[in-house]
Amino acid sequence: MPKSRRFFSAQNRRELLLPAVFIAPALAVLLSLSIYPLIYSITISLQTETAAGVVWGVQNFARLFSDNFFWTAMAHTFVYAIAALTCEFLLGLGLALLLNAQIRGRGLFRASLLVPMMLPTVVVGVVWRLMLNPNFGAINGTLKRFGINTENLTWTASPKLAMLSVIAVDVWQWTPFVFLVLLAGLQAIPQEPYEAALIDGSSRWQTFWHVTLPLLKPSILIVLLLRTMDLLRVFDQIFILTEGGPGFATETISLYIYRTAFRFFDFGYAAAMSFVLLALTNVISAIYIKFLQAKEAN
Amino acid sequence: MRLTRLRAISLTLVLLLGLTSCIRNSQSNRKQLTLAVATGVEGEALKQAARDYEAQHNVHIEIAQFPYANLFEKELIDLKSQTGAYDLIMMDDPWFPKYASGQFLTELTPLLQRRGQTGPDSDFVEASLAVCRHPYQTGPLFALPYVGNSQLFFYRKDLFEKHSLKAPDTWADVLVAAKTIQEKESTGANGSRIHGYVMRAAQGNAAVADFMPIFWAYGGEMFDANGTPAVNSPQGIAALEFMVQLGKYSPPGYASFNADEVNAHLLQGTAAMSINWPAWLSAYRDASRSKVIGKMEITTLPSAEKRGQAEIGNWLIAIPRFSKNAEDAMDFLLWATSAEQMKRSAERGNPPTRRSLFTDPELVARYSTYPAQLRSLETSRPRPRTPYWNEIENAFGIFLSKANSGDLSPAEAMNQANAEIEKILQRAK
Repeated sequence: MPKSRRFFSAQNRRELLLPAVFIAPALAVLLSLSIYPLIYSITISLQTETAAGVVWGVQNFARLFSDNFFWTAMAHTFVYAIAALTCEFLLGLGLALLLNAQIRGRGLFRASLLVPMMLPTVVVGVVWRLMLNPNFGAINGTLKRFGINTENLTWTASPKLAMLSVIAVDVWQWTPFVFLVLLAGLQAIPQEPYEAALIDGSSRWQTFWHVTLPLLKPSILIVLLLRTMDLLRVFDQIFILTEGGPGFATETISLYIYRTAFRFFDFGYAAAMSFVLLALTNVISAIYIKFLQAKEAN
Repeated sequence: MRLTRLRAISLTLVLLLGLTSCIRNSQSNRKQLTLAVATGVEGEALKQAARDYEAQHNVHIEIAQFPYANLFEKELIDLKSQTGAYDLIMMDDPWFPKYASGQFLTELTPLLQRRGQTGPDSDFVEASLAVCRHPYQTGPLFALPYVGNSQLFFYRKDLFEKHSLKAPDTWADVLVAAKTIQEKESTGANGSRIHGYVMRAAQGNAAVADFMPIFWAYGGEMFDANGTPAVNSPQGIAALEFMVQLGKYSPPGYASFNADEVNAHLLQGTAAMSINWPAWLSAYRDASRSKVIGKMEITTLPSAEKRGQAEIGNWLIAIPRFSKNAEDAMDFLLWATSAEQMKRSAERGNPPTRRSLFTDPELVARYSTYPAQLRSLETSRPRPRTPYWNEIENAFGIFLSKANSGDLSPAEAMNQANAEIEKILQRAK
């Protein structure tokens, strides 16, 4: 019997109906909340409002090239993402290795490390904003006690320190997440390869490099992928901490998109920028996923 | 079994439907208005007024309250999508050109005429009414002014007397005083210092609001007679050079200060002068917040090449064009902005927009700063009236902030700002 005929047989139709009914609500939600807005944002990214009315075309995308603010915000986003990702990964890996070992109070350490991650980002932003306040904040207050001159340590207010401050806050909040995923990865590694390495007489460093790291690679790639996607669209902490300032020093692409859409009401241009960000995120994710699959194929 | 369950469900549904229609019926003869207000002292006063109005009239007033930044978003989304969700909207006056030029607001004069009035009450301060008209000052009326904010100049009378300084009539006087105070008060009683001046130069609204009075006093104008951006004129650059110079006597990090930081310094007595807004006045009378009770003097803005002018920052109330209850909304609007009701708003801490209230003996006895506030408001001027003000203020503010943080020289900052403002206007064409 040809495949198509069998597909439409009465029995098959009945069998297909039930799954279809079950999937329908999810599909409806997906269509109305994801697919429709996506198509709508594509259409508005191709529209420009002028005095003469709405004009269709790629003006919004062309405008990106001459917009200094856009490129600066993009550069800030990458500086932020790369710096934060590096610190979070190294610290997270270190902590995971440390707390994977049998040390006393391990449970307490693990639990307390997770606190920052459980706080809403907005709360983290507000708390750090207060702590980083140059005149009344806890950080400069503590430094002053040690006799350090804090007059020029204005943190979020200084064009030189502002980026460093917002990165530090992100590292503080999200290192625990990296730690948690890597710890789970470490604990899933079986004991046998370690025993084999021990018998072969490999040093601790060799064991780490040739046993732990390769076996941890899937976890590493997943956590890096998740963090990268999060970092590229960072918004809340920076919005609370500096609102993109001083000047433009910490304005990332998400902040600039937000400003364009909800302060200047230029939804078309904001949508165009969002698509560029989406494309970039996709390219970077694809690279990670390729690495991940290459690993699995091995 | 199955049938009885079905019956039970349908019975419940019918009952529920009946109940909701009953509720609707009981409310149908009561008029309803929806009001969008800001959080903070301005919005609270209007909210209270709405509650009073409800008690006196057969009207239910629904209140949608939002923080400053969200209010603008919510209102503009409603206005653009023509939903008519709000019957009355409260707005900061720089938003007005965007709303009015988009033809989103109801013209008020016909509504006034239907009530036997030819125009708005002549008791309103001219400068406050001017920002309710589109085009500015000359056009038809689209709003009424509710809160009469305009910038004021705050300075420490006690320190000025101590160091026999001349009152800050000009910006040159301000600089001399800032320098003297900073040098002579470098170590206070507990090793703390008093900064000569404090300003807010965070990008956006803050930096621009603190710069405009200096810019205007130096003879700068954002646009020339043809409407071309001209912030990089010699006067404009000189004004920014002055701002940066004055910034040397401002606490470190002022390039990211907003109103909160400025007032924290003034209230703690760690800074001697600033441009400030009336909404903060009550804090200076509050012993739990202020260490400078009775020491702060309030006056109009200093002059330079030109007479000092404050930036106006009035809160206006308008009726969206797509409101379905414009007549009822107008009744409320006239009631809320009447002298009697505005006096109650003044008692709740908002400066009025009526001359008779600024000179009302009871209010003056309570708020000794009213004469200075009236002088400031009457001579105030608005931010440049353009529907693209948000974009322009954002770009201009970034460069002002960069000049103050030392990233750019004043001339470079002004040149780059001018180029960005030009771009914004080009796109609008």
